Amino acid sequence: MTDIPTPASQTTQSEKRKGYWATVARDGQKMGFWFILPTMLLLLFIVVFPLLMQLYLSVTWWTPLEGIPWYRAWEVFSWGENYWFLLTDPRLWGALWRTVVIMGIAVPIQFFLGMALAYLFVDKFPGRKIFYSIMLTPMMVVPAVVGLMFFLLFQGTGPVNDHLGLPADFSWLTDVNRAMISVIIADIWQWTPLMFLILLAGMLGVPSDQLLAARLLGGSNWQNFLKIVLPRMKTVIIIALVLRAVECFKIFDLIFIMTKGGPGVQTETISLFLYKQTFGELEWAYVAAIGLTILFVLSVIAAKGLSYMAKKNG
Amino acid sequence: MKVSPGALALKYVFVLLAAAVVLYPLLWMVTMAFKPYPEWTTVSGLTWFPKNPTLQNFEFIFYGEAEGLVVSLDRTIVGPLISSLVTSICGTLLAVVSGTLASYAVVRFGLAQSLPLSVLQLRLFPPLAVMIPVMVMWAFIGAVDTWWGLSLIYGIVTLPFAFWLMKTFFEEVPVEIEDAARVSGCSYWRVFYRITLPIVKPGLATCALFVFILNWSDYLLALLLTQKDWVTLPVYMATLTSAMGGQMYGMKAALGVIAAIPPVVFGLMIQKHLVRGLTFGALKQ
Repeated sequence: MTDIPTPASQTTQSEKRKGYWATVARDGQKMGFWFILPTMLLLLFIVVFPLLMQLYLSVTWWTPLEGIPWYRAWEVFSWGENYWFLLTDPRLWGALWRTVVIMGIAVPIQFFLGMALAYLFVDKFPGRKIFYSIMLTPMMVVPAVVGLMFFLLFQGTGPVNDHLGLPADFSWLTDVNRAMISVIIADIWQWTPLMFLILLAGMLGVPSDQLLAARLLGGSNWQNFLKIVLPRMKTVIIIALVLRAVECFKIFDLIFIMTKGGPGVQTETISLFLYKQTFGELEWAYVAAIGLTILFVLSVIAAKGLSYMAKKNG
Repeated sequence: MKVSPGALALKYVFVLLAAAVVLYPLLWMVTMAFKPYPEWTTVSGLTWFPKNPTLQNFEFIFYGEAEGLVVSLDRTIVGPLISSLVTSICGTLLAVVSGTLASYAVVRFGLAQSLPLSVLQLRLFPPLAVMIPVMVMWAFIGAVDTWWGLSLIYGIVTLPFAFWLMKTFFEEVPVEIEDAARVSGCSYWRVFYRITLPIVKPGLATCALFVFILNWSDYLLALLLTQKDWVTLPVYMATLTSAMGGQMYGMKAALGVIAAIPPVVFGLMIQKHLVRGLTFGALKQ
């Protein structure tokens, strides 16, 4: 709403009256400026300055142990060595690969489970409200607590082994392969409800008269789902998948509590790798270089994705 | 449409199965919190419900010691609990106030049209990729391990949610109401404060609860930006794990229950708007 509210009768009135509305509009703009100011300041504070600092630190050898404050980091200038190093760092690429593996397994499973659940809940049935609330609970539990819960479950002496009849030395979190499986199970448990919630909202948005018409014309449930429901849910599905993929790429809390990235580096994702580089190795300049690279790559992907979406829609 | 009894029964089988999977880990943690030491592991056989229910675990984390336990805590839950509350509330206030004001200006005055997208970008990147300069800055201004330092970063990272959520609520307010008030001589500030804000009050409450949940759920930022005095609940929970050699299942479960309760309660309260909040207003229910 950029227009000045000018009722028809007002426009034909005297200059004085016009002046009044102009003042009002100017007041609006002025107030809008003050309204936006806090957010702008916060953005400036968290985006512009840190980005410059990150760029600066990433071309040095600076670490907090260097004994010089960060603004004198140029004394240990390294040119592009950090960037060169990250291209050939097997641990970084391993962590990236594992992140992609978790995303590639967890997100599709969450999607299919969420879709199935949404299909169950789309029609009313007695007790729907209560079960709906139960289904949503996992995603509201603090991720760190979810990590703790699955840490408890997957102990050798824990309930999973007990209920499956496995011996106490059948380890999950310290086993080379099963550690990854445990982490993925925990992520699926926590975030399937998000998929379910979004997909259900999309499914409920499908016009019911169209479905009814298709049913009257003799379409089977499966046909109706494929030909009527799915196409109308396209946007919702894309939103759900993108949202989950972005969040899954950042995964940290769960894994950090459950396995700390172990055994060895078996469950070390990008975030855990960065954390260990920051606090274990104290390679802050290197982390800054990796961070900037990630920032750049993700921005390019996001821009490409947005323009692709815009082209498709327009 | 009529559903056959067979199909309905099948539906219940699946729904109950899903509910069981959801409740299994939750219930295990909750019952674990009330179990005394001998019932924690398979050594004496696992049961779902504690054979000798006890409040010992809660007593231990609140007082630092409990009857019949040789170990004691040098640090109780009280400090982290206060820290979690203070930083989450202050962070929420910062995010909601600045997000509300900015989204109103964007919606009503058409200012800063690029702001919504640039705000959204804050959520795209893994926090750890951009935390080095933040940590250096926070150390530089003395904000590490203070309540305001943590609140500040909480307010900033949840600002996008507050902004987008309030944007959708403001877009629903008919502009005619505001125009009518303006024609009757209200100033812009009065229109905002007296007319629009009361209309979006339920939305504002939803937004605040939603942002509070996000702040309360944080683990990483508190891990990076606090050391001792303002450690939050999840970080405290994790340090308890390592200090105890990973054997204090009951206490950890008790802590987990306490940390999990507020977001679950608030989350169920704002169920209706969760879709809107989580998809940055792209979808409504």
